[in-house]
Amino acid sequence: MDLPCGTRNYDYARDMAVLRTKTHWVLFIALLVLLFTAPLYLSNSWLSRCNLIGITIIAITGLNILTGYCGQLSIGHAGFMAVGAYTTGILTGKLGLPFLAGLICSGFSAGLIGLIFGLPSVRVRGFYLAITTIAAQFIIIWVINHWSLTGGFVGMSVPRASIGGFKFRSEASQFYLIMIITAICILFAKNLARGRVGRAFIAIRDNDLAAEVMGINLTYYKLLAFFIGCFLAGIAGALFAHWTGYLNAENFTLTDSILYIGMVIIGGLGTTLGPILGAVLIRLLQQGIMYISPVLESTFPAIPAGFTSGIAPMVFGLVIILFLILEPRGLAHRWTLFKAAYRLWPFSY
Amino acid sequence: MAELLQYTITGIAVGMVYALIALGFALIWKSSSVANLALGQLVLISSWFTYGMLVQAKLPYWIGLPLTILFAVFLGWMIERFTLRPLIAQPILSLITVTLGVAYFLEGVVVFIWPMSVAALPRLFPQEPIHIGPAVVSQEYVWAAGISLLLFGLLSLFFKYHKMGIAMRATADDQMAVQACAIPVTSVFSMSWIFACVVAAIGGVLISSIGGVTYGLVETGLKSFSVVILGGLDSFIGCMVAGPIIGLCENLGGGYLTPLIGPGIKDIIPFIIIIIVMIVKPYGLFGETRIERI
Repeated sequence: MDLPCGTRNYDYARDMAVLRTKTHWVLFIALLVLLFTAPLYLSNSWLSRCNLIGITIIAITGLNILTGYCGQLSIGHAGFMAVGAYTTGILTGKLGLPFLAGLICSGFSAGLIGLIFGLPSVRVRGFYLAITTIAAQFIIIWVINHWSLTGGFVGMSVPRASIGGFKFRSEASQFYLIMIITAICILFAKNLARGRVGRAFIAIRDNDLAAEVMGINLTYYKLLAFFIGCFLAGIAGALFAHWTGYLNAENFTLTDSILYIGMVIIGGLGTTLGPILGAVLIRLLQQGIMYISPVLESTFPAIPAGFTSGIAPMVFGLVIILFLILEPRGLAHRWTLFKAAYRLWPFSY
Repeated sequence: MAELLQYTITGIAVGMVYALIALGFALIWKSSSVANLALGQLVLISSWFTYGMLVQAKLPYWIGLPLTILFAVFLGWMIERFTLRPLIAQPILSLITVTLGVAYFLEGVVVFIWPMSVAALPRLFPQEPIHIGPAVVSQEYVWAAGISLLLFGLLSLFFKYHKMGIAMRATADDQMAVQACAIPVTSVFSMSWIFACVVAAIGGVLISSIGGVTYGLVETGLKSFSVVILGGLDSFIGCMVAGPIIGLCENLGGGYLTPLIGPGIKDIIPFIIIIIVMIVKPYGLFGETRIERI
């Protein structure tokens, strides 16, 4: 079902390749061309939306590794992003380290904090873990708000990203930076998922006791999942910090964490494609609501005053509930169904 | 000394309200093993509803408060019927995340209808402070604790003697066997959600009549999780014991640690307790340790 008829595997390398057919290659190159020429015809506001989507995709990919592959629910992902964001803010803004060092360090610091809060996952799971990660979210945000180093409630400014003297000032240059890092992260996640580690994660998700009996080191792999998931969250947070230029704990609330979980579910848990689809859909929906609600409010004066701020959470909550009930496998599953259908068309039997 | 006594009494009283809200969680978890993460939002929306009835619609107490209870009953039934019922026998991940979706939705509804972020409920209880020994305690706290205790008593009587209560306990024990005895399991689920919402609503009204209606109520609901975790998920006695402990820790810690560490420490003490309990004794004080088989 994954591939069209007549695709044969003559050797192992070809069997394992991500791009298999000529159509794949054509579409891939078209996508590359599209991405690299995007700043030519997209306005700055659309580029900034694309940047936000890219950053979200990185964070969601991490969450997908943790929740989708390894089955460890984390409702503190925005908190882990905040750890990454503030690490790079302190390292590059206050200590003057280069951007790349800040990026890597923020990945590691978020990963380590994730490890600490992931420790209970060795003994408990499901709801217990969800509560632990909610606690992590609150503790992290409290520390950020009350520590002099992070600027407290006022927040802190972060310099623009720069590599070897080149400063990523414009939205377009940041677009390239974020897209390249996003692509690297997606490729990493894809390869991780189909290797030994990914298979161990899936075994743990399906039944951790059985996985342990089969010889998978539960402690190691669960903590590894926390580390990798939070590492990617840290990278996303660092990019977010350099992209907005100003950090405040308001950017990393529990609501955001829930929204991230929603994105993974809507996209499809345990797929590489899922996080991309989920992030794009929810972020575009957000933009659509932001665009349409003032219009609606001015045309229908009878709408109550809380419409603009209240409609977004209502829609997202509803979307999450509906997806869980109607299509728990997410958009990625729909996409594979669609591919199978058009490949067999018109003889679908 | 007066300070200590004051913190202790306030802590125990607030803890009783937390315990009441946590009871709603334990009810649902016991009967249907669904983790209700929308607890905070249930508290929030029913407090705002009370505000809408008592202040905005200017209804007298004897109409407004029963209407809030009715609203909670309706809310609980709706949530169970339209989000949890279609997901029966789905993986636990879906069951947890669907309540997150509900939480998100309810928060949107609150922002939609009541866009102001702070409001005050009319005082439900007399306000003259009581002098207990050297301590001066606001009378509202004592009332809140008393009402919580009363509800605890009523609920435990209900579970002990009423037919539905016995059915709910039986469902918690073994769903299959209960179904074989011709007890409608789905209506037991429904009832447990209705009870949870009513209990959350009463807890919300008690808390917000003291501290006002704010979005901080979501956190109050979340703090009740620490009660559930400390007491053990499936234990009513656990809630009773752990509630005052959490309230005590919060108030004593808030009182004595604030000068040392900084303002706001009070709000994260319950979350720190969660982490500690998770690492030391994950199934809580009274929780049942699960022995798993493949």
